[in-house]
Amino acid sequence: MSTATNLHQVSRKGAAAATGGQPILTVDHVVKSFETPQGKVTAVDDMSLDVRQGEFVSVIGPSGCGKSTLFNMIGGLLSITEGEIAVAGERVNGPHPSIGMVFQEESTFPWRTVEENVAFPLEIQGVGKAERLERAQHFIKLVGLQGFEKRFPAELSGGMRQRVAIARTLAFQPKLLLMDEPFAALDEQTRLLLGDKVTQIQQELNQTVVLITHNITEAVQLSDRILIMTYRPGRTKRIIDIDLPRPRTSEIVGSDAFGRYVAEIWNDLREEASQGMQDEEALAQQRKRP
Amino acid sequence: MASTGVLTSSERASGWRPDPVLWVRLAIIVGVLVLWQVVAMSGLLYQDVVPQLPAIVAALGRLLVNPELYRNLWVTLYETVLALVFGGVAGLFVGIVLGGSRFFGRAFEPYLYYLGPTPKIIFFPVMIMWFGTGGGSKIAMGAFSCFFPVALSVAVGMRAIPPILMRVGQSFRASPRQMVQKIYLPAMREPVVNGLRLGFGIALIGVLLAETKLSNQGLGFLVIQNYQRFDMPAMYALLIAIFVLSMGANAAITRLTSRSAASGAR
Ligand SMILES: Nc1ncnc2c1ncn2[C@@H]1O[C@H](COP(=O)(O)OP(=O)(O)OP(=O)(O)O)[C@@H](O)[C@H]1O
Ligand SMILES: [Mg+2]
Repeated sequence: MSTATNLHQVSRKGAAAATGGQPILTVDHVVKSFETPQGKVTAVDDMSLDVRQGEFVSVIGPSGCGKSTLFNMIGGLLSITEGEIAVAGERVNGPHPSIGMVFQEESTFPWRTVEENVAFPLEIQGVGKAERLERAQHFIKLVGLQGFEKRFPAELSGGMRQRVAIARTLAFQPKLLLMDEPFAALDEQTRLLLGDKVTQIQQELNQTVVLITHNITEAVQLSDRILIMTYRPGRTKRIIDIDLPRPRTSEIVGSDAFGRYVAEIWNDLREEASQGMQDEEALAQQRKRP
Repeated sequence: MASTGVLTSSERASGWRPDPVLWVRLAIIVGVLVLWQVVAMSGLLYQDVVPQLPAIVAALGRLLVNPELYRNLWVTLYETVLALVFGGVAGLFVGIVLGGSRFFGRAFEPYLYYLGPTPKIIFFPVMIMWFGTGGGSKIAMGAFSCFFPVALSVAVGMRAIPPILMRVGQSFRASPRQMVQKIYLPAMREPVVNGLRLGFGIALIGVLLAETKLSNQGLGFLVIQNYQRFDMPAMYALLIAIFVLSMGANAAITRLTSRSAASGAR
């Protein structure tokens, strides 16, 4: 049912693709503000979101709108000013065993080989060497890096390193895979192909995913639902169900329905992004004056 | 391991091709020896202060067959290694705490910076009172001296670790101990090794200096003994032996640490 009316449907509940039941992730009226020398800055303001088992949800918004702030709060690496976040029914305060994070920055350990990198979370959990390497092997295959087990990150391309990071987080076997612009540093082609990989993995493991991104194509290609954020303070502008058939591949990028979703989201985002650019220009003007 | 990101050091270590640099180094040694001999023969300085090379070589020969040398060498080495262990472990620990916490770093590091360059020998009387006139005070001197460079270089190295790697560790719920073992230390291998190498040299200085001041054994003691007997050839022979010893120890530390790095973080 990918009709135009459906596009405009604003939903706070689960997507059609979700299996229902208790949400795995609940973000409940969350606020984050920072004390800065210039005063209080509210980065995330009153955001709410439920994510169900098996769902793929993207959070999209212009640069500086508070996406990483939200990511770090869900991951338990940043305190919450107001509201509550719960994972698998447990309140988040500190990194939760059900959440695996993939970061925006380059994050592989340069002194470890691919397999040692991927086995890292298992090593932390105290899994014996033989077993953890064997289990790591499974996830290395999953991201298509077999044959590169003994290589060091410096010998791999950026896209391969990002796949190592994803495999490492998958080896943690999180109920919720949380990713912050994992493909931001990659070129468009690699990004699309990695997107296929992620879709395939998600289907295979029935993995619940929350993806932070500022790339509209990527969001539409991968998601069941997309949450659009406003620019500063970061609020929920709206949530869109993506009613495209699954299994999907990157070929879907060329379809009409896909184009309509992209246009739709861009329409919403443009206002926010231009607001952001105006703000930044004003700030630059202020700095120029003595 | 032929193709790793850290291959440069092991490659350098295994390559024993004659190198133009090696010739320059040899030429420098030869040049110094020739200059020495010329000065000695010219009679510009007292024969006793600048003895001729053959006299020094003969003294070196006598020294090398003298069991006294090895007994005292062993004492000095033992004291230095213990000093490095105590001072190095303390420095590593303090460096990690100061580098890991902005608060502790800001609160305590100024003291390290002020105390670091202070000549530690002025604390020797205190060490004697606390640890006695025997080996204890020498070890304490060496440990105290090498603590500072190790702590400072570890603290600086700790701050240079990309914060993202720590966040990865946290997100996988690594314990503080695992963070140190599996992230901080491997990420800081370079500064830690440099700190320990520097620390070894400084521990040796501290021990030797203390031995020259008050002791009845060790290489420092031998140097002073020969000086007091005014046996200059023997003293120079000893200085050469000490020079070779510290060079050898330095090379050994480098070898050891690059080996452990090549075997990788398990
Ligand atoms: N520690 C902090 N102290 C003060 N302000 C902060 C802090 N962290 C983030 N902010 C502010 O919060 C806002 C949101 O930042 P955030 O990093 O979440 O943006 P983002 O949406 O992830 O941007 P990008 O797409 O560029 O990664 C920014 O205006 C930023 O200046
Ligand atoms: Mg961000």
